[in-house]
Amino acid sequence: MLQPSKYHATTTDLNNENALVEAAKKDPHQFAALYSKYYERIFRFIYQRLDDKEQAFDSTQQVFIKALEKLPKYEFKGVPFASWLYRIASNEVVDLFRTQKAQRTVNIDSISVYNIIEEIQESKIDEYHDKIVNIIADLPEDELQLIEMRFFEKRAFKEIAEILNLTENNAKVKTYRILEKLKKTIK
Amino acid sequence: MKRKINLNRPKISADEIAQRQNFDSVLKGNATAGKPFFKKPWFLSGIVVATVAVVTTVALLNKSQNIPNSDQASLEQQNDSLALEKVYALEQAKPCIAPPIDGLNIPYTTYKVLAENGGKFEFKTGSIFTVPKNAFIDSDGNIVKGEVEIRYREFHDMVDVFVAGIPMTYDSAGTRYHFESAGMMEMRAYQNGKEVAIAKDRSINIEMSSNDADPKHNLYLLDTVQNNWACLGKDKIVKATEPEKSEAKTILSLNETPEYKTIEAKKAEAKTIKEEKIAALPKVPAEPKKPAKVNTAKYTFDIDVNTKEFPELSVYKGVLFEVGDENKNFDKSMYDVIYDNASIKNGTKKNENYLLTLLKGSKKIDLVVYPVFEGKNYETAIKSFQEKFEKYTAVLENRKAEEKKIEAEYLAKVAEYQKRQDEMARQWKEKQDEAFKALDTEQKVKRVFAINNFGVYNCDNPNAYPTGVACTAELKNDLNKKLHVYDVFLVEKGRNAMFSFSRNPVTNFSFDPAAKNILWTVEHGVLYYLKPEDFNAIKNGNGTRDIRLNKVSEKFSNAEEMKTFFGI
Repeated sequence: MLQPSKYHATTTDLNNENALVEAAKKDPHQFAALYSKYYERIFRFIYQRLDDKEQAFDSTQQVFIKALEKLPKYEFKGVPFASWLYRIASNEVVDLFRTQKAQRTVNIDSISVYNIIEEIQESKIDEYHDKIVNIIADLPEDELQLIEMRFFEKRAFKEIAEILNLTENNAKVKTYRILEKLKKTIK
Repeated sequence: MKRKINLNRPKISADEIAQRQNFDSVLKGNATAGKPFFKKPWFLSGIVVATVAVVTTVALLNKSQNIPNSDQASLEQQNDSLALEKVYALEQAKPCIAPPIDGLNIPYTTYKVLAENGGKFEFKTGSIFTVPKNAFIDSDGNIVKGEVEIRYREFHDMVDVFVAGIPMTYDSAGTRYHFESAGMMEMRAYQNGKEVAIAKDRSINIEMSSNDADPKHNLYLLDTVQNNWACLGKDKIVKATEPEKSEAKTILSLNETPEYKTIEAKKAEAKTIKEEKIAALPKVPAEPKKPAKVNTAKYTFDIDVNTKEFPELSVYKGVLFEVGDENKNFDKSMYDVIYDNASIKNGTKKNENYLLTLLKGSKKIDLVVYPVFEGKNYETAIKSFQEKFEKYTAVLENRKAEEKKIEAEYLAKVAEYQKRQDEMARQWKEKQDEAFKALDTEQKVKRVFAINNFGVYNCDNPNAYPTGVACTAELKNDLNKKLHVYDVFLVEKGRNAMFSFSRNPVTNFSFDPAAKNILWTVEHGVLYYLKPEDFNAIKNGNGTRDIRLNKVSEKFSNAEEMKTFFGI
């Protein structure tokens, strides 16, 4: 059973947040509020994909430095500011892997694995646990990202779509295709 | 590069992550990123370093040609003195509150208050502070209106105090004491980034949670200009009430968590599914009844029966009704009468015997009778029974096997859910233990006082330095190199006190040999320490001894990690 995602924002929330962004464009000190609001989420996003805690903290800091640097070019598109930050964070970790400064790490918790097994309607939970872990770790990067976001980070499809620049429906379809693939591979 | 898999890696707490926030460094990083490369610090400092390196290399080459090897020791001594001078200069320049290790500090918790309204706030330890209306003034003495940000933090043990860089020495009438603390707090307030003060006719009431109810402690305010503590008198000690209520509030029952409830619901759902599957299995027909053979020594009646009313009697052909032994009133003469009417109804044992009613005129006879078969009818009936019984047994066995399979699937599912619940219970217990531990050190008493200025307040008791063994030492690092440090700290485990001894290279310190002591110091942000067992080798005596400290290789990201490391 997936935990409900905390991802939702009213138009007022989005507009208030955008007011903060606009203020930060004029005065970088105003960016502090957005930094405090999203620091933990960005750190957890990065640390989910890395092995080294200190490196994750350093990269988180880099994400915000880059965000502040690119802020004048940021355009409000009616989605939470977090989506934009996650994309910068995603590029940051990809850069780390590309330059081999960090090892791509798949951090999996057993409860999420059990949720996946339930999702593919299999009852042999213990028997399939280790198999699923290994299959997930070997998935292509785009598929792994979807599984990570949906099952390990418990994100709503809407949020996944915004981070990965997909439509919500496309994110759903792709995720269920991966689950079908897992179901076939496991047997 | 192959991916690494981490299964069930421990989660990092929100507190730990929050402590690593450093917005100033983001601003600095942004400022640097925006400059052309020739204006960036790394380029400028690179030029400086390169220039210094060239000059130094030339100078050293010249020197090494001119200075004999015997003077190398003197050169090292000079370098040593220079390093110490640098340490002393830094010590002189550092502010009163100076965290000794970069990135390690006690974070503030921030609260927003509307200055015109004031408010009551609760800190995570249970401490409460009350801000009156119009409590703040700006640097020009004007009453502050609008939103004010209050920053608050507490220090409950010597590691908290150490990492925050708060001095714990107290000079009174020329004598230096050290504080033993019953709790310390710091409060500051800001509006639009500018610090504000407490209005003259206002005070903020503090109810600080403490686990020390001893009235020997006084209240002190840290004077950051004089670098000393000002005694403000006594605080008021109030026993914390209703601890059970607090515990109940802090520690929720595992059964109340949504995750646990979800699994409970799944267990119930699995049971319903099992019951539905069993109900959907093919029905097993009633067990066929073995036909009884006629007893030739007994009397029988041949009667037509309604097969709709008694379907069990129509299973086999040629049923007769044998008079049972219980009919004490039966006389063989009854057998010779031609009756007007005969009827059958269920007897005392359903499907086993029947009540035969015979009517002749006004005479009525009731007899208990048993269905039996004779001759060929019996042989056909018994053969039919055997076939039916075999079919019945097969269906029954099949159903039992299906039921067993459904039950096994159900039990496996329940076991999986139980396993998950057990894991939840384990994690929950860990959380509970932590919460109880926190409760153990908090909320026992409240130390109540009012403050008229923002700053660091301390419920403390000045103590003399420990005695027993006095030692003069040259402190070395793990590589046996001299440590260039200013302060050396002695902590007695089990006592909330920290004693500082200053000015290496020759440090005089004393300790109580009966106590469990730890000595630590910091050089270039790296922590070095002397273990409790290492104190056994230190005896009273003349002269300077070399003491080699252990290096802490771990980088602590918060005070809790340091406490765990030192077992404090």
